[in-house]
Amino acid sequence: MPTHWLLAIILVLAAAGYAAARARALATAGGSMRRMHSLPRAYGMTALIWTAVPALLILGAWILIQPVVLEARVAGSIPEAAASSEGQRSLIMADVRRIATGLQLAVQGGGLGWDEALALTADGGSLRTRLADLGIAVGEEPGPAALDAAQVWVQIERVGHLAMTGVVLAATAAGFALSLIRARADVNARASVERGILVLLMGTALVAILTTVGIVMSMVFETVDFFSRYSWTEFFFSTDWNPRFQGGSDLGMLPLLWGTLYISLIALIVAVPIGLFAAIYLSEYAGPKVRAVAKPLIEVLAGIPTIVYGLFALITVGPFMRDVFAQPMGLGNSSASVMTAGLVMGIMLIPFVSSLSDDIITAVPQALRDASYGLGSTQSETVRQVVLPAALPGIVGAILLAASRAIGETMIVVLGAGAAARMSVNPFEAMTTVTVKIVSQLTGDTDFNSPETLVAFALGLTLFVITLALNVLALYIVRRYREQYE
Amino acid sequence: MKDSRLEDRDTTMNDTKISARGVQVHYADNHAIKDVDVEIQDKTVTAFIGPSGCGKTTFLRCINRMNDTIDICRVNGTIEIDGEDIYDKRIDPVQLRRKVGMVFQKPNPFPKSIYDNVAYGPKIHGLARNKAELDEIVENALRRGAIWDEVKDRLDAPGTGLSGGQQQRICIARAVATEPEILLMDEPCSALDPIASGQVEELIDELRANYSVVIVTHSMQQAARVSQKTAFFHLGNLVEYGDTDEIFTNPRDKRTESYITGRIG
Repeated sequence: MPTHWLLAIILVLAAAGYAAARARALATAGGSMRRMHSLPRAYGMTALIWTAVPALLILGAWILIQPVVLEARVAGSIPEAAASSEGQRSLIMADVRRIATGLQLAVQGGGLGWDEALALTADGGSLRTRLADLGIAVGEEPGPAALDAAQVWVQIERVGHLAMTGVVLAATAAGFALSLIRARADVNARASVERGILVLLMGTALVAILTTVGIVMSMVFETVDFFSRYSWTEFFFSTDWNPRFQGGSDLGMLPLLWGTLYISLIALIVAVPIGLFAAIYLSEYAGPKVRAVAKPLIEVLAGIPTIVYGLFALITVGPFMRDVFAQPMGLGNSSASVMTAGLVMGIMLIPFVSSLSDDIITAVPQALRDASYGLGSTQSETVRQVVLPAALPGIVGAILLAASRAIGETMIVVLGAGAAARMSVNPFEAMTTVTVKIVSQLTGDTDFNSPETLVAFALGLTLFVITLALNVLALYIVRRYREQYE
Repeated sequence: MKDSRLEDRDTTMNDTKISARGVQVHYADNHAIKDVDVEIQDKTVTAFIGPSGCGKTTFLRCINRMNDTIDICRVNGTIEIDGEDIYDKRIDPVQLRRKVGMVFQKPNPFPKSIYDNVAYGPKIHGLARNKAELDEIVENALRRGAIWDEVKDRLDAPGTGLSGGQQQRICIARAVATEPEILLMDEPCSALDPIASGQVEELIDELRANYSVVIVTHSMQQAARVSQKTAFFHLGNLVEYGDTDEIFTNPRDKRTESYITGRIG
């Protein structure tokens, strides 16, 4: 039975369980809702949960685990004589997979019975043509080892699938029956529904956490691999970045880190004052009409794709900065520069700062403003001394979000500041950032065995640690200086 | 009805401090105050009483132009303080509010330390030349707010961490720290328990020596205890205004009588 049929059966039974349990619970109460412990739909939901959820979980787990077991069993069944090296074994396994698929198609197409398929032997050289007829290309006439292994494969998969169907159907039926028996008016169905919701919510939180852990772990493993091939002192303290794919590269991250921090700093110097002051204007000074127009207009900035900002930097801002500032001041004649990327990135970040800060400033209770006005303070005194301190945690959060965006930004940097790793204090020189180099080390033909590729993971992990440190710092600042209302 | 505790204080002050004539207030289409005339005397506690939504708070907020902060609010008519029209274009509402302090219904201390709460007004108005003077102002204000003994050891603690009654007395101390001439109190005891209310009432009576106090209250007992003059508002009209004793013992208007005897409200 195909898996989607199985799914359909589970869902239909679950729906039937809902209706039946609801009806049965009502019936045991003599049709009167007053004599029921919980609402009728709670009994239905309990039945639905118990019918569908265990069966679906078993199904999902089986689908995930079976291929792993299958692969191991089949690989183990190939005799040592046929596969002397690791590479040969993986070649045979590739053939095995194709032959197994071919056999399964042949059986489904009706050209072959199960017994026939399992009894085939690699003798006449006819197997390859028969598989080709079914649209399966096999490199050469399969040897006996591959054919045997493929037959093992087919057999295990067939039995496994049958077992899965049986177990899942049994779980569904058991859940259905049990929940019907439990659908009596005096049972506390509300509590089990609430528990079901709790488990669902916990599950989703767990998914988010586990994903983070998974990402970090994969980065850590690759980074450890990198540091076994390349000296960590060189990586952290060398000022040369010069990767060569034939080997002998210099992979010092300092120029990249410098570029990242320099560009982010300029971006924040642009975005934080403008964004914050715009937010103060919108929330404290602007009338409702101005606010209704201006706020969406500023937020449009957040909707522009970063590649478009990059084009703006490349075509407009870069040449402008070069012609107006860099060349007349004798600071170089590159149109790609830290200043260009920083300015454009700053513009991109304005809505992040302003929109969040605006929401947070608006949330400061009116009573605090009244108190300040009532004491005879002006509007700006009220904003500076009462509203902003109360809104500080949110504002720091907004700035932090902007900083993380700046550190992680790639497109604007490639187009605005170039891709040359350099350490210089001149803001009109081309530099580049960690993210740009991660991209360039991982594009094209990559081979995950060389330090030139693996360095990307070390760079990524370093960035992750930096943003984490920023978060911790911000948390500390907020704890230290916040003025908590309510 | 009348608690005799505070009754025997003299009520001989009769210089007019606030004089309102023909005051009308609209919130968008809602006519909240209809043609109110009232003369409020100096060094006197004046109570505004009346059922909810009758306009007493609105009228109170006209006296220090707090209604300016509400966009849809329009005020017509004249209100004079010491003979000066406060709605005149030349009057700076910031300056006015320094002279007319306000205490709100819900305690609203700033999320700052107790000291900074009280020092806020003196600081922004530059009332102290140095730290020692500021310390003195804060201590005096806290003493007048009858809260000094409770907080003198923890002036650096946040004002929001105190109990409701303490918070309200901090707010009163904060208001008197700027040395206003008039103190407006909008139901200052509505969030307080009877003991804290009693403390605030005694405080109000002491403040009368220096200020003209206007208090909005829902409690008629409170009005009777602390005020010398009472104004009864009903549906935006000032129905009756006179000596508190008169209003509570011998009301002229039938609506006043109904209200104080609990028939309307």
